[in-house]
Amino acid sequence: MKTALAYMQKILLQCVALCLLLSASTALMADEIRLPALDPKLAKISIVEPERDSGYTVGDLLTRVVTLEIKKPYKLLDTSLPIVGYEKRYQGQIIGIELRDISKEEREKADSTVYTIALTYQVFTRNVVAKPAALPPEFVKVQGGKDIYEYRIPSWNFRISPIAVFGEVKLETDLSPFRGPVQKTDKQERIILNAALVVLALAALGLVYILGVHAWLPRMGGPFARAYRELRKLGKLPASDETLKLGLGRVHQAFNASLGSSVFSGNLEQFLQQKPVFAAIRHDIEQFFDLSRRVFFEQSDAQQFGAEQHEWLRRFTRRCRDCERGLKPEKQV
Amino acid sequence: MSDRQLADWREHALKLESEINKVVVGQESPIRLITTAIFARGHVLLEGDVGVGKTTLLRAFTRGIGGGYQRIEGTIDLMPNDLVYHTYLGEDGKPHVSPGPLLMSGEDLSIFFFNEINRARPQVHSLLLRVMAERTLTAFNKEHHFPHMLVFADRNQVEKEETFDIPSAARDRFMMEIPIVVPGDPAIREELMFNPKFHDVDALVGTVEPEVLEFDKVNGIARIIQNSIDASQTLRRYALDLWTATKSPELFGVQVSGVEMSRLIISGASPRGVGMLLSAARVNAWLNNRTAVVPEDIHAVFHETIAHRLVFSPVYEMRRTEIARELLSGIINGVSAP
Repeated sequence: MKTALAYMQKILLQCVALCLLLSASTALMADEIRLPALDPKLAKISIVEPERDSGYTVGDLLTRVVTLEIKKPYKLLDTSLPIVGYEKRYQGQIIGIELRDISKEEREKADSTVYTIALTYQVFTRNVVAKPAALPPEFVKVQGGKDIYEYRIPSWNFRISPIAVFGEVKLETDLSPFRGPVQKTDKQERIILNAALVVLALAALGLVYILGVHAWLPRMGGPFARAYRELRKLGKLPASDETLKLGLGRVHQAFNASLGSSVFSGNLEQFLQQKPVFAAIRHDIEQFFDLSRRVFFEQSDAQQFGAEQHEWLRRFTRRCRDCERGLKPEKQV
Repeated sequence: MSDRQLADWREHALKLESEINKVVVGQESPIRLITTAIFARGHVLLEGDVGVGKTTLLRAFTRGIGGGYQRIEGTIDLMPNDLVYHTYLGEDGKPHVSPGPLLMSGEDLSIFFFNEINRARPQVHSLLLRVMAERTLTAFNKEHHFPHMLVFADRNQVEKEETFDIPSAARDRFMMEIPIVVPGDPAIREELMFNPKFHDVDALVGTVEPEVLEFDKVNGIARIIQNSIDASQTLRRYALDLWTATKSPELFGVQVSGVEMSRLIISGASPRGVGMLLSAARVNAWLNNRTAVVPEDIHAVFHETIAHRLVFSPVYEMRRTEIARELLSGIINGVSAP
């Protein structure tokens, strides 16, 4: 009898346990019932996502602002909004993304209501290499009359990045709690950058020199400047007809190089029109061509050339050089 | 003595120029060039459009120079013997032979004016070659001399029908080919249009003072000019460079737009041509009261004495005038002296 009573107790307990189990499973099934989706024509959604989609690590906050416009008489149910502190899951596994804060604003329009929902999530996961993650989709409920519909706010993909480059930091060798975060050194890059800047500066200087027709400053190293240098060297030689001819010939070359074609007394006007900076010494230029004519073409025994002509030619060339540089030529003595 | 002669003759030459400038206005440069050719004893070919005053200009010079003057019109049926003699039936009913234009003035022939030379046949050009080069002609079993003769010829390059190109050998005999263009000055154009003085050519040419020069003494003074005007070593080198540049302009960096320079020139200036260039340059120096030739004297006559002597590849002949102008300007600009 006692054994039968114990057996019945055991059977009764099993029945109670079975009933509890059945009621729990029924409640769970009721909770998983999917509501019909809201007609897309009745809602408009726009989302402002975080500015970047990579480089997040543990502790970072990501905020997305969802603007949902729902046609009247449909209304968003506040109770369907996601709950702060809920750990998001994917296929039953915690994904390390948690809703940290939520705010909601409503604005009524003539035939619709605009809901602005700011969702702030915090990352509670990390990895030694970059890995994909996502802010999960949220499902909110919309009521229209007696019916309730579901509306899906889409997910957003991003990448979770490691705190340090994999393998570069060995925490076991430096576990002092007083050290700041380990930073990557840029010393080598700075040396390379400085060296590149030096090379760039040298190349730019070389380019300036080449573009300046082998002169360091504008208007330097022109034909008359070169002729003047050579005339100063000639001045060290004893004055003679030959050195005077060499000097005159050198200045003729400078005139030709300056104009780009041969300059004679017959086309002096053309030269002055194209090179008006020389107009200030027109009289001297005419004197030069007169001297050149007497030396090269109209030689006579009566004409004697000496140091005076050499000195005049040197000064004349210097005045031409000044004109070439855009300076006011010194007065002829 | 020669210095005095040179100065006196310069006065005559300048007076001749001013006389011509009175009747042919706006042509100072061609008049200076023809004066230069007269004293350099060179034949002149004028080139220009119809009615620009080529014939008037030459007739005016002829009157100023004096001496025998003969003229012939170039036509397609002109034959060489038409220059030497012509036959006719006399009053007595018998055939007669009388001297043609070349022989009519004998040794006093000063100017032989060949109008529209490019209308004459090459046979006529051929006869003219000898007369121009040697100033002699063999006819009637006798050699005739024309020591004072200059040939003035003109042609227009607009008309091409019934014309014959003057061969390069004949062109080379002319010292200068001078282009005559309509003056650009509006005041001169108005004068030419409205002043009746310029409409009667005979009367106009008649106003030129006759025989300003003594034609039979020009040869003598020309020799003195050539012997008196000096050419320095520097100038000789410069002239030689110019000559080289007429054959190989690419050596001096001369470029002509749209022309392959290495294929342009078949033949540059001839030795006779550059000799004439220097003769003309000497006369130009003398007219400018200089005792030596300077580069500007060469420039003054360079285009007119050289352009017609250059022989271009046939592919460029159609653009001859334009190319020659650009080429010779390029040579003057590209060759330096000293």
